Amino acid sequence: MKNSSWTYARKISQSFCLAVFLWLFLKTEYRGIDQLPYPVSLLFRIDPLAALADFLAPGPFGWQVLWPALLILLGTVLFGRFFCGWICPLGSTLDGLGKVIGRGRRTFSPGWRSVKYYLLIGMGTATLFGVQLLGLFDPLAIFLRSLTLAVYPAYNYGLNGIFDFFYEHDVLLLSAAAKNSYPFFRDNLMAFHQPIFALGLFTLIIFLIILLLEKVEHRFWCKNLCPLGGLFGLCSRYAILQRTPQKLCVDCKACDSLCRSGAVRSSGHMRSECLLCMDCTGFCPEERVRFGLRTGSDNGVGVDLQRRGVLTAMASGVMMAPVVHIGPVTHEQNPYLIRPPGAVAEDEFLQRCVRCAECMKVCIGGTLQPALLEAGPVGLWTPLVVPRIGYCEYNCTLCGQVCPTGAIAPLKLPEKKKNVIGLAVIKKDRCLPFAKGVECLVCEEHCPTGEKAIIMEEKEVLVSGNIRRLKFPKVIDKLCIGCGICETKCPVEGASAVRIINEGESRRKRSELLAGPYG
Amino acid sequence: MTRIDRRTFIRQSIRTAVATSAVGCLPALDLLALPAIAADSPPLAMRKGKNVKQLVQETIGALGGIEEFVKPGEVVVVKPNIGWDRTVELAANTHPEVVTTLVELCLDAGAKQVRIFDRTCNDERRCYTQSGIRSAVEGLNADRVSLEYMDRRAYKELAIKGGKAFDRWEFYMPVIEADRLINVPIAKHHSISKLTLGMKNLMGVIGGNRGRLHHQIAESLADIASVIHTDLTVIDATRILVANGPQGGRTEDVRNTETLIASPDMVAADAYATTLFGFKPEDVATVVAAAQRGLGVMDLKQVRMV
Repeated sequence: MKNSSWTYARKISQSFCLAVFLWLFLKTEYRGIDQLPYPVSLLFRIDPLAALADFLAPGPFGWQVLWPALLILLGTVLFGRFFCGWICPLGSTLDGLGKVIGRGRRTFSPGWRSVKYYLLIGMGTATLFGVQLLGLFDPLAIFLRSLTLAVYPAYNYGLNGIFDFFYEHDVLLLSAAAKNSYPFFRDNLMAFHQPIFALGLFTLIIFLIILLLEKVEHRFWCKNLCPLGGLFGLCSRYAILQRTPQKLCVDCKACDSLCRSGAVRSSGHMRSECLLCMDCTGFCPEERVRFGLRTGSDNGVGVDLQRRGVLTAMASGVMMAPVVHIGPVTHEQNPYLIRPPGAVAEDEFLQRCVRCAECMKVCIGGTLQPALLEAGPVGLWTPLVVPRIGYCEYNCTLCGQVCPTGAIAPLKLPEKKKNVIGLAVIKKDRCLPFAKGVECLVCEEHCPTGEKAIIMEEKEVLVSGNIRRLKFPKVIDKLCIGCGICETKCPVEGASAVRIINEGESRRKRSELLAGPYG
Repeated sequence: MTRIDRRTFIRQSIRTAVATSAVGCLPALDLLALPAIAADSPPLAMRKGKNVKQLVQETIGALGGIEEFVKPGEVVVVKPNIGWDRTVELAANTHPEVVTTLVELCLDAGAKQVRIFDRTCNDERRCYTQSGIRSAVEGLNADRVSLEYMDRRAYKELAIKGGKAFDRWEFYMPVIEADRLINVPIAKHHSISKLTLGMKNLMGVIGGNRGRLHHQIAESLADIASVIHTDLTVIDATRILVANGPQGGRTEDVRNTETLIASPDMVAADAYATTLFGFKPEDVATVVAAAQRGLGVMDLKQVRMV
């Protein structure tokens, strides 16, 4: 197949954008500077679905952060789905991967294409009614989430394995090379601490399914399922970047089988389906195909949408709200549902969070973990603080810095240090001084608040028949911010003897008893 | 793989033991006299002063200069306390200038390499930066000096001979293998061991679940100290933390004592440092346990002040 210079330009753009996103991904890590020096969550600042979630959530729209997304939408109105063909990292991954694993040649009935629109309409309507699930299907969220939770941890693990092998076995030259290059890799190309995520495998499987759909049909995901593609499709109906000839030529019809998105038909060119890959400018045997700026052509073909389907999608969206609320209110039932510092109140949080996993990528202590059902039926992949895995670093504000939709507010350090995400509770049946009469103070030692929120109180107790003076930890509720370092570092094996619950979190609005919660 | 390593280790230990015993029979080469075993009257230097650099130079000078401890061509580990994500004035970590001055002295004495590290409690990247030690060490611009992150692969389980709390623990091998170890703690309040000084600072070069040591902190630290040989202990008391230790976080809890204590006997140095907090050496159980094991001298009357 002959490539035109347009195709080369598109491929360069795809590679460049993918490289930029991957580079930003690697930079989404603490590298010795408290304020991240790069706009690491750029991928979601240009994401119209993230902007939609933000727009429909209560509270003001984050103009300062999300204006690039609107620029992308405006560009789409003018030029069509250039984002899909030229920028989208998931699309580029699929294109690249198709070359490696081979592509399916099946063609599905055009009806499949409308799935993405119905998905968009259904989820958009649900969002309007307070149930925001856009992030589950947002290709950019899928891409970054899979990278963060699965691909990157596996890559790190593998690479570390190689370095460890050459560390443990002395191989001529190679061991020395590995030893010398390790600090560079660790500081630039690898995670400083091996990332560990509870939903890693689950996320990976979903990502692999999307990738393997490429074996069924080229860009199956983009053509048929991607709601962001649907949004761009709806916007590009009247794009002024137009293709000539618009219809299949009677003498050739090569486009019919060669166009990856099946956008050229005998009735005309479907601008909403065209990914602007520009391959047709190259493979046209007659070299007839041109793209140019034009207005007012009526030969374009509209979107494959039926009124009945649209209404069904909208109705399903409306139904989402009552359906997901038939269970108990999760954040009132689950005391271990703890959100990152700066997270807005739970209802708004769920409406704002697009499950992009940027916060989990950047978290220094590795405490932020994706939720499965811990946050209720719509909380999948939202960030949870899981202190037994890691803790919230006292002097760190990174998660708020990277959140693109204001689900985690960017707190200044002094505010962050006062932001209560939970409360430590000592379990006396596990805690060593209480349960075994053994000295221990690890929780107190690590407690980071200037005036410690865990203190040691000395008491006389009976330990196996003898009176002993022992020190017991005690939590001072009004000083505890719930950072969880006590739970992480508790030396008791297995379940920690001190656990964080979400009592008293700053984001929960309520009136306080002036004398404290229990008088 | 671990099993093979342990075997190799035991085999090599026996070989080394046999070899040293053989050599030890020669009266001229007194290799058996482990310096960890207390000298009768260890020297101890205590100086006060506002200028940190000068203070370090004077205190070490009083002990006869760093040349007493570091010989040309040796690999020296300088082990400060960098355990916490705290700035200098909060007195949670060793003063950066104490560290760099000691490093400079080692370099002047001809050390082949000076390695600095600590197994931190908060994220090590944050601790190294926030403590000011990273920028101070980088400021030295010396390629024989390295501030390193602990290498998770370099820990090895070693038997603790005569251990009272533990029979074995993971130790950081670069410390064991180094020619010299200079232990540079900061003097701080601690709720269970009362104070954290030189012995407690050695917790920064061991692996494992360190929290477990607190169950019997005094005997555990004595166990650790019986394995890790310290050539020189320099206690940074330029400012000390008198409450909310060992992490601190409030300037109210910091006292500017402008003092430095140095001794080749870690127990003596720790014993002396207790007096800065108004304690006696016998009030601090870790010091007592170490002295009872013969790891050093805690009776300050036996210490030779220089």
